[in-house]
Amino acid sequence: MRVDGAKGEKFDEVFDYVVVGSGAAGATAARALASTGRSVCVLEEGAAIDPKTFGDDAWGAFKTMFRDMNGQVARGRAFIPVIQGRTLGGSTVINSAIVWRIPDDVLAEWEALGLGDALPAKELHKNWDAIEKDLDVAPTPPEAWGGFNKLMHDGAAKLGVLAEPTRRYASGCRGTSRCLTGCPSGAKRSMLTTYLPQAEAQGAVIVTGAEARKIVVKHGRAVAVEGRLAAPGFPAFTAKARLAVVVAASAIQTPQLLARSGVRSAHLGEHFMGHPGTPISGLFDENANLWHGATQGYDATHHRRDGRFKIETIGLPPEVVFARLPGAGRRWKEKMALAKRSTVFAVQTRAWAEGSVREGPFGADIKYDLGRRDMMQIRRGLRFAAEMLFAAGAREVWPGVYGLPEKILPGEEALLEHGPDNPGSYSWILSHLFGTARMAAHASAGVVGHDFAVHGVPNLVVADSAVFPSNLGVNPQHAIMAVARLCAERLAERT
Amino acid sequence: MIARERLVLDALLPPGGPEGLPGVFEAGFEAWEQGFAADAPPTMRVGWRAALFVAYWISPVLIARLPPLGRLNADERERALEAMGKSRFYLMRQCFLLLKAVTSFGYGSTTTVRRVVGYHAG
Repeated sequence: MRVDGAKGEKFDEVFDYVVVGSGAAGATAARALASTGRSVCVLEEGAAIDPKTFGDDAWGAFKTMFRDMNGQVARGRAFIPVIQGRTLGGSTVINSAIVWRIPDDVLAEWEALGLGDALPAKELHKNWDAIEKDLDVAPTPPEAWGGFNKLMHDGAAKLGVLAEPTRRYASGCRGTSRCLTGCPSGAKRSMLTTYLPQAEAQGAVIVTGAEARKIVVKHGRAVAVEGRLAAPGFPAFTAKARLAVVVAASAIQTPQLLARSGVRSAHLGEHFMGHPGTPISGLFDENANLWHGATQGYDATHHRRDGRFKIETIGLPPEVVFARLPGAGRRWKEKMALAKRSTVFAVQTRAWAEGSVREGPFGADIKYDLGRRDMMQIRRGLRFAAEMLFAAGAREVWPGVYGLPEKILPGEEALLEHGPDNPGSYSWILSHLFGTARMAAHASAGVVGHDFAVHGVPNLVVADSAVFPSNLGVNPQHAIMAVARLCAERLAERT
Repeated sequence: MIARERLVLDALLPPGGPEGLPGVFEAGFEAWEQGFAADAPPTMRVGWRAALFVAYWISPVLIARLPPLGRLNADERERALEAMGKSRFYLMRQCFLLLKAVTSFGYGSTTTVRRVVGYHAG
């Protein structure tokens, strides 16, 4: 059953489980809980967008499917846009559906932190097997590479470095390069088109336009979620939970909701981590076919461990590509005319930086500042990306870094490694967000225990990446889904 | 949009130039901007207006000219705007980035521009 809160529609207000959030974590948990035959309600703040209406312009997508219309930023020495979906299906609707199991070395780090029993590798792998089967995971096939993914393939092959077609939940991808604005072909298995309808078919009630404002805790138990609908006048709603409340609202929204609900912990909203990324463009002699190919169909993980970065291809609509081209006036237009001969690689780093998330007067107050080690990683990544671009045939690269030349020629890649140390000299995005309600056995060290429950409130569980003790160095959707499924299975067993 | 904002945008993406790329207003940016101003969150709207203000009143100083931008010839206007992006002040560079980003979102999403640069929706 679907309920549109924006139309002020009413819904049955008592459920066994109330799940806050409909992204990778919320949808996975909701589906697992609904499969037990108990009643489930999913609350989603954003709207349900019909995939048939997905357009191909960035602003149109930002308006309807991104948090704060993609205006959310973290502040530190640089303002860093923090990308999140705000729509039914969450960020899975607007991301590139990239599949990575948590690498063994990261799982070993978590085990060393005492989480080996709480997040056992064996169970996670079992969940990944199941999810990959459900969502038909496959490496991006050559016919969907288009021009820019093939360039990474060629560059990496020439250098002899580790790079592969990205595994994605998108078999049958036509390479429209439109992951960011919503997949027009339906090939992307976002939660909007997979787990949420499946949960619904098992009886879950999905409420859109419903912002959760507070979890009501009585006598140490979560009993309801209160909030407001997106209808005129913002009418209040209460969704009562007989058994448990599952918070899966993301590492930005989850700590704010818990704080508003009276959860107190020195770790709540702290340890905020992510994967900051910065782009670099290469200019080729021929048409690089920038707008045809799987949005992120190839990535280079050669330095994932020793350098803590990986390089990804990225296909973007013209207006997003234009925005970071150098110049103004006629010179900017000259660069636009060259755009079809350019391609963009993104350096994504497993940053050491930890920030914080609080509720501010204009939304989330996110503090995040990259440190010296992070900047060294990024600069190494930029150099490596430039080397791949040149190996693929680029005649010049455009780093877009204040303090470096506008264009770098072959043989000058070392300049990138000696670029500025100040994050304000680079352009960034921050995605893949973790850690603001971290898991730890004891309340003195974390917000939730090994059973995913907030310390002291056994039926209030957190199922999203806020519980992760660290970032991953790889794209997290698959990790989030496996962890959320584990959380839901354990919750169903004990309630 | 008021006249001085139009002047800034006309300098940022003037008519004429390579491969038939239109000027910002020839591409229909003004209608798009009205929608943007109506839909965007308040912080984004304020940032956009502030960036236009800074471009008009402050950017000439960066190339040692007296403001406003309207006093300068076409070459100088482009140089003044480019100087925002090369300024040693972070907030000035952010203003330039915001100016280009919003303009680009409107300009680059138009059918005319997309056709010229070879984009076809898949």
